[in-house]
Amino acid sequence: MEQTTQERRDALGLDRPGRYWLAAVGVSASLALWGAWAYSVQLREGLVATGLRTIGQGGAAWGLYVAFDIYFVGVSFAGISAAALVRLFPLPELRPLTRMAEFLTIIALLMGGMTIMADLGRPLHGLLYLPLYARPSSPFFGTFTLVVAGYLFASLVYFFLAGRACAATCASVPSRWRWLHRLWGSGFRGTHAEAARHRVVSFWLSLLILPLLVVAHSTLGFVFGIVAGRPGWFSALQAPSFVVLAGASGLAMLTLIAASARKLMHLEDVIEAAAFRTLGNFQCVLTLAYLYLMGVEELTAGYAAPTAERALEHSLVSGSYAWMFWSTVGTLALGFGLLLWRFLSRTTRIGWYVAAAAVINVGAILKRLLIVVPSQTDGMLLPYAKGHYVPNWVELSVVAGLFGLASLAFLLFAKIFPIVPLAHPEDGAPDEAPESETRRTWIAGATLAVGLTLAIVGFAGSAGVGAEVYQDPVLPYSPLIFIAGIMLSFCTAIVYEVLPAKRPDGGS
Amino acid sequence: MMIPRNLTRRAFAHRFVVSALVAASALWAFLMSSPRRALAGSPERERTVATDDEKRKWGMAIDLDRCTGCGACVVACRTENNVPATGSAEESDGTDILWMNLLPLEDRSEGSESAPEMLPLPCLHCEDPPCVPVCPVGATYQTGDGIVAQIYDRCIGCRFCEVACPYGVRFFNWDAPEWPTSHLNTLNPDVATRPAGVVEKCTFCSHRIRSVTESARVDGVSLSDTDFQSLPACAESCPAEAIVFGDLNDPGSRVALAATSPRADQLLEHLGTKPKVFHLRRERRH
Repeated sequence: MEQTTQERRDALGLDRPGRYWLAAVGVSASLALWGAWAYSVQLREGLVATGLRTIGQGGAAWGLYVAFDIYFVGVSFAGISAAALVRLFPLPELRPLTRMAEFLTIIALLMGGMTIMADLGRPLHGLLYLPLYARPSSPFFGTFTLVVAGYLFASLVYFFLAGRACAATCASVPSRWRWLHRLWGSGFRGTHAEAARHRVVSFWLSLLILPLLVVAHSTLGFVFGIVAGRPGWFSALQAPSFVVLAGASGLAMLTLIAASARKLMHLEDVIEAAAFRTLGNFQCVLTLAYLYLMGVEELTAGYAAPTAERALEHSLVSGSYAWMFWSTVGTLALGFGLLLWRFLSRTTRIGWYVAAAAVINVGAILKRLLIVVPSQTDGMLLPYAKGHYVPNWVELSVVAGLFGLASLAFLLFAKIFPIVPLAHPEDGAPDEAPESETRRTWIAGATLAVGLTLAIVGFAGSAGVGAEVYQDPVLPYSPLIFIAGIMLSFCTAIVYEVLPAKRPDGGS
Repeated sequence: MMIPRNLTRRAFAHRFVVSALVAASALWAFLMSSPRRALAGSPERERTVATDDEKRKWGMAIDLDRCTGCGACVVACRTENNVPATGSAEESDGTDILWMNLLPLEDRSEGSESAPEMLPLPCLHCEDPPCVPVCPVGATYQTGDGIVAQIYDRCIGCRFCEVACPYGVRFFNWDAPEWPTSHLNTLNPDVATRPAGVVEKCTFCSHRIRSVTESARVDGVSLSDTDFQSLPACAESCPAEAIVFGDLNDPGSRVALAATSPRADQLLEHLGTKPKVFHLRRERRH
């Protein structure tokens, strides 16, 4: 058994930095360092170091950072939804992708958080004041609490629990990272009882994470959708559009990562072509849905909308943003066409799926810029001159640095932990006397109850329930209490799965 | 930390609970430390709330028929409120801060010899301001007398208020404010300067309102509409007396009468923001 595990670990190249890996780490680290240096310039000089400027004075106050925040949070869609779908539906071909998908979610969310930090005029104040004063009246509340805290934490819990079996397997052979594998394994022994518990937990987590995901992506859509005074933004379609494009771009990014891992780590036997086909089919439907939403939006804005709305629509379709608009439509349509063609044909060629995923990602990035920028430069309702925004080297470097950081995280993770699961916690072996579930259920239930109570109290406090004037949280640290409540609620899963059985005579 | 070879669920649970307690204690200690005390409340806001007469609702009327576009209001506002000088439009490169702006109206015919029609544009202090609810940290709020105020200390610089304002009257400090050396000794001590990375805007010269109302309270005298009509720096400096300030809740005040004039417009009325600055349309063209 030990030999087999060692062989499987070796096949994944764990602990063995090869030449290509070192080169990739070098490139990623250099990119990350370059981005960090560019950010230090921005911190020193202020946001004047970027291409952003005041609206109405020829600029746009939000630009590349906000567009990439939406992009990164959108990409995070992929991981957890793929993992959740595997638990809820019979999609065995996606099973090998779950680990990298979950990790993609976590990294993408962290990158999204960092992009927002890069966009803040006073990032340290943001870190301190958001937990103190965040208010549900602002869509940023949802972005901050639900996306960063709730969604990220839920993904981490899922990631941790789903990786325990693999960690325990890895801990059975000596390695530099054995301590981590042992810690992560957290006493996992692969019994029937553990497997049964994980099945229950992962099912309910999946069921909870999917609506949370829709809510989290919708709050990002609301950032734009609720702004009535900015043509192009005020639309009920924003929230659903954000969810749909997040799905398409996220699964496309997962396709690219899975294809890279398959090629570079020689995982042809593990990641089957069918996985790409399934991902491709999902992307095909989501891309078509997004093109439909875009069409509906443009027709509505161009038909008999108010003057400013129509003017903005014209600048998109035939004005200064036409090249970007039609490139977006073109890339998304090309991606859809390629995927539809693969869907109709009987053969599965991974290269086509990779190409489609790449163009869908380009389209998604362009579309995010189209959402953010034109409504500021060309969407003033008063007679301000039209604006112009081009991201400068600082913004481009910071975003490139974040991609470098994300890729570095993937490369390092792939060396210390199997990027494709070696074992699944839901596959247990019968070797143990059944554990009593009553005490476990009660403690887990109490954790959930405390978590939900804190979340409700925190939300009510943040929302100023009972206050005469809605300004500050009525209870100090309400946003923090809300976040703690959400996190504790998700900790229920860990409590239920990891809590030791009542101590029998002489050990657990 | 040593991880034992046979880490059991019990040992893991112990470590987890201890680590969580340590992390929670550290976070609590951090939040209870000095930054929190500094933030507990904004003195500026407390003062405003404490002294505002909530029966009043401040408003402004700008008569476009009288406005000559001379720019005195812009200069007076800049000086009064310590708004940094950013040079010409080219030099400022989209970073200019204009608590009072003069917006050229587009509808003048090309080649016309008439004076360019200008729209004086301060913050409109909307009754239903779109900038307030979107602020993620409550750095902007409405005082009891209807002024849309900004807590500079709390602003995190996300600029959501700037993009949510349809009038373009919120300004971000893209870099640290600068004044010519000769101006440094003439900064107004009644108005705080703002650091880089925060949003700022017109306050209806709330420091002047506070000063007048407080003095009257201390002296035990009552104030009339004439005490307010030219209170803000822009109104005071306008040579054509095109700007009138006052209490919209006082039906006899000049501003309230102007607001009910058939010439009175609320900019972008259809958005439902209910501006408290009324622009009186031109009656004739020069």
